[in-house]
Amino acid sequence: MDYSMEDTQNSAPDAQQASKLNPSGQKSDTQSVTKRLQAELMQLMLSPSPGISAFPDADGNLLSWTATITGPTETPYEGLTLKLSFAFPNNYPYSPPTVLFKTPIYHPNVDFSGRICLDILKDKWSAVYNVSSVLLSLQSLLGEPNNPLNAQAAELWDSDQAEFKRHVLARHQDLDDE
Amino acid sequence: MNALSADEMERFQKLSNSYQPDVQGPLVSTKQSSHSIALDYSNADPTLATKTNALAITHPECRIMKGDGNCGWRAVAFGYFETLFALRDTLRIETEIRRMKSLTTLLERVGLSDSIYEIFVDATEEVLNRTHAAIQNGAQDESFLVDAFNEGYCSDAIITHFRILTSAWMKLNPNRYQAFLPMPLNQYCSSRIDPVKTEIDEVGLQALIDGVIEGSGFGVEILYLDRSEGDVVTPHQLSSNSPSGATIRLLYRPGHYDILYPVETLNMAPIVNLQYGMTSDYSPWDQAALGFDVNSSLMAIPNLMQDTSFGMGAPMSPMPSVSPTPASPFRMSPQQDMYQSPMPTHAPIPPIPVSPPPQIAPPSSAPPPMTSLPSRSSDGPQIRLNPLVMKPNLSRSLPATTPFKNSPYNQAHFQNSDFEPIHWEPHERR
Repeated sequence: MDYSMEDTQNSAPDAQQASKLNPSGQKSDTQSVTKRLQAELMQLMLSPSPGISAFPDADGNLLSWTATITGPTETPYEGLTLKLSFAFPNNYPYSPPTVLFKTPIYHPNVDFSGRICLDILKDKWSAVYNVSSVLLSLQSLLGEPNNPLNAQAAELWDSDQAEFKRHVLARHQDLDDE
Repeated sequence: MNALSADEMERFQKLSNSYQPDVQGPLVSTKQSSHSIALDYSNADPTLATKTNALAITHPECRIMKGDGNCGWRAVAFGYFETLFALRDTLRIETEIRRMKSLTTLLERVGLSDSIYEIFVDATEEVLNRTHAAIQNGAQDESFLVDAFNEGYCSDAIITHFRILTSAWMKLNPNRYQAFLPMPLNQYCSSRIDPVKTEIDEVGLQALIDGVIEGSGFGVEILYLDRSEGDVVTPHQLSSNSPSGATIRLLYRPGHYDILYPVETLNMAPIVNLQYGMTSDYSPWDQAALGFDVNSSLMAIPNLMQDTSFGMGAPMSPMPSVSPTPASPFRMSPQQDMYQSPMPTHAPIPPIPVSPPPQIAPPSSAPPPMTSLPSRSSDGPQIRLNPLVMKPNLSRSLPATTPFKNSPYNQAHFQNSDFEPIHWEPHERR
């Protein structure tokens, strides 16, 4: 009996159908990413958290977003509005988004290109994190730096808070809406 | 200390950030011989070589997981689906679909919103549905599961589902696990369970089995390959479920998990699909030759053989061998005369109320109506007898085999000089 023949005819129709509908795995990934990001956007709009916001860029590409966080009270960043960019990989949420500060910021965990050193955006990333939890983590990072990417800022944070705040304000520069 | 310029540091940092260990092979391999594992260790420590050689005999097949940090999670998840498929029980899969859905209450209780966990639960459910469909369609093997687990997104989603269930289970049962953890449980979950591509450790594995697998009734056995004393890998039961039932077997080598298949599962009896009603194209009895020799005893069952020379045809036309000449009735061949003999060949067709009148020609493939029961005439026995009974002298016609050595009928006893017949003694209790 020709089992190989039978296999192709009797195997799960779902699997075959799925492979017909999505000839490349890439496409189905993109659909899943889109679905997940749409759900996140819905969540952010229906129940916004104070001090954070995020929205996809106007170019219609759901994989790149712009977000804002407000500097928490009783930190050198109090009252400042900071813009960030999110770039989501094709296998989001199984890989973290690339998050950058667009607003120039003086902070021990952020370098002068806006790159952030935060474990949950690297090896501690979990698929249950989302835009909102990343923004909340970043907001708390502003008041609790931990990993000196900017060694000078880290030193100053420990030695002279007033001087640190002067550096923050000197570096800060509000971005115009694009 | 800083011998490198900032630019160089940046370049190295970039390289380091983008570094992906070069791991070859599929996420989940096809079944392969465990001898490949033994070969890996042939030049290693003799203890490992001995153990892997022994392993290749007790567990001849294995399935290699890609060592990308998810191997332990993936091995358990794949083993779960594969074991479920191997049982070929669609009801059980439906039960599992319901159970997996009900486990989402764990996620709710630790504060995850459905918009977050939905895609993970959906992925597990979809593969459960695929498994269900594969059983119904009589899929030959589990290749559809291997395919599903090699689709990156599907694989990641199921693993994440199992991760977040484990994490939630631990947070809801802290007393069971905290004592084994080097850090507060919440921190443990966020650094060792939740992150993508973090290897499962022993506590995490135990929690995964307690929280996710245990409810399925499957046992989980881990075989530890290390340099401890002994000639075989050390088995360890991680589930309170019976190890004799469906069991997921994992091989642990420090830092890596694979799936193992013991000898028994190779010789598993062909799986019978009990949903026999699903098929209607059975070949008719009379067309397909029976796979066994028809003997006279079987012939005593009415209508078993739809042979035209037998059954229906018999009363109509005299059979060639109808005279009772039981030359050797114990040949393993159709001895129709043995059955026919009590039946007068001229007997009229007895009216049997339940069967349709013989004039109506039945469809060719359907068994013809049974009209050839022995007539209850006075010249034949009133009951249907075993052909052996019809022999005039039953005892003489018994097969001439050597009497049992210890049988009292064995006359060889008398030729034995030491032979002593059994004497009955009145005081003896029988």
